[in-house]
Amino acid sequence: MLKIPFVIVLITCLITGAFTRGKAKQSIVTSIKLKHWVGNKEMKLFDETYTNPFGEPFIISKFRYYISAISLTDNNQVETSLAGRYFLVNEADTLSKTIELLTVAPVATISFVLGVDSATNTGGVQTGGLDPANGMFWTWNSGYIFAKLEGQSDVSPAPAHSFTWDVGGFRHGQNALRKVTLVLNKNGTARSSFVVNADVLQWFNAVHPLKIAQSPVCHQPGELAKKIADNYSAMFSVAP
Amino acid sequence: MRIQTILFIALFFLAGVAWINAGSKPTPLKFVVPAGWPSPVYDFKKNPLTRQGFELGRKLFYDEKLSKDSTISCAGCHQQFGGFSTYDHNLSHGFNNSLTTRNAPALQNLAWQKEFMWDGGITHLDLQPLAPLTAINEMGETLANVVKKLNRDTAYKRMFTAAFGAPVITTQKMTMALSQFVLMLVSSNSKYDKVTRGEAEFSLPEKLGYEIFQRKCRSCHATPLFTDLSYRNTGLQADSTLADYGRMKITGNKKDSLKFKVPSLRNVAITFPYGHDGRFFSLQNVYEHYRNKMQVTADTDSLLQQKIPLSNYETSQLTAFLRTLTDTSFLKNPAFAPPGYPITPSFIHY
Repeated sequence: MLKIPFVIVLITCLITGAFTRGKAKQSIVTSIKLKHWVGNKEMKLFDETYTNPFGEPFIISKFRYYISAISLTDNNQVETSLAGRYFLVNEADTLSKTIELLTVAPVATISFVLGVDSATNTGGVQTGGLDPANGMFWTWNSGYIFAKLEGQSDVSPAPAHSFTWDVGGFRHGQNALRKVTLVLNKNGTARSSFVVNADVLQWFNAVHPLKIAQSPVCHQPGELAKKIADNYSAMFSVAP
Repeated sequence: MRIQTILFIALFFLAGVAWINAGSKPTPLKFVVPAGWPSPVYDFKKNPLTRQGFELGRKLFYDEKLSKDSTISCAGCHQQFGGFSTYDHNLSHGFNNSLTTRNAPALQNLAWQKEFMWDGGITHLDLQPLAPLTAINEMGETLANVVKKLNRDTAYKRMFTAAFGAPVITTQKMTMALSQFVLMLVSSNSKYDKVTRGEAEFSLPEKLGYEIFQRKCRSCHATPLFTDLSYRNTGLQADSTLADYGRMKITGNKKDSLKFKVPSLRNVAITFPYGHDGRFFSLQNVYEHYRNKMQVTADTDSLLQQKIPLSNYETSQLTAFLRTLTDTSFLKNPAFAPPGYPITPSFIHY
């Protein structure tokens, strides 16, 4: 019985300690705003018909992706790692499109992984942004859907003209995890608030040409998923 | 001085809260590893078994409300009297007159398994319920709806609080509770086990059958689990309507075409039909496959390239032995029966 208050004193001390340290070191709130585009048009779900680089028309109903393993460096190459944190970015959820992080100094470069590491894929049921109820999980073949672009296209031969690209895969030979690095200090100045643009048109031909008419559906890990991942890893750029 | 007083009062209050909460802590439940068995692979540290967690898992397991139209529970296809497989059904029945494409596996000794399903596609026991809950030909519900339904139910609120300390119902907590129930489904008390422990003796046919088993079956159906948990091609032709190529669907590797997980032979006498699609309705059908009908190709498992020679005489002895794997104390354990069953579970003591 005597142990409990003792433990509480200990915990209080630790928390206070952590706070004081945090104040001294990590004082800057870095804010990353994600903006989704289709070419030069800002993305709108459902209402607008877009055209991809192959002239194929499509509408978008869902656009979501996981950002994890964020790592930031400042102008002195000091690194802040945010391993173990996962952000589900969802076009339909405005709040999810701003990521706020505590950093030591303004950011010179940012790198992150698109997707969820294999240990977390196989480590049981997660919660919060990683809750399988978020619809970003394959239940029959355990694993997260790293990114999802879904909608319809008149050129799609799939049922209901569906166009659904769900990308994931962490097993050997199926790895769809992609690392993205963005440079923020091109003019020498590091930043603590910036906009990252994501252009969906890159999904179609950044590296591999992928037509809706030929591959309207991707619902499992494998070659197609890896190609889409190669393409979409090029969708990000930093707004000037 | 004043700050110290406030701090002291605050700490005193916190200690009080901790003490009250300590009083309602869930009761630990002991997981017993049968003598001579390997260590379980399930990480109990991340999901410590408790009586309350187990009881919650049992309620969830038997609750039809988890399906889209409240007609199908986990227990619908995993029946205790059938060794937690679907008794006498080749394929299980799902939501809205649908059929599944595979034979529901018997649930037993799951703490020793790393991968689940006939193709091993599911990589953690806690992840397993997500598949049948959401599959359109099984329970047909969304996870978000399942959690919503549970949140509306005051009995569940109470039970989740008792099991996990807070009235928070999430996918994670639900699946942890289900795991706590199914982890306790340990079958290790068949006649075979009693013979192994020196508590019983085989009859002559059983003994002869055991010798045949050791020579011709054991390399895949390894003791004590009676499976080596590997995936093997046993010369089954794919059914044209099911087009099920097993493990290949998960790995994407052609070498894994038509490989399926070696099923355990524990309680085999009552888990018929057999095979991933339940195509064998009796043990005799299985013997016939291995000694005669199987299609041997280059991709067939190396241990089966010559099929398995079995005389009629041997099949009877083998059957006698396989029947010793029926564990009635497991099949009739009231702790695994639907909640409300009147007998106090024997293994729960504190």
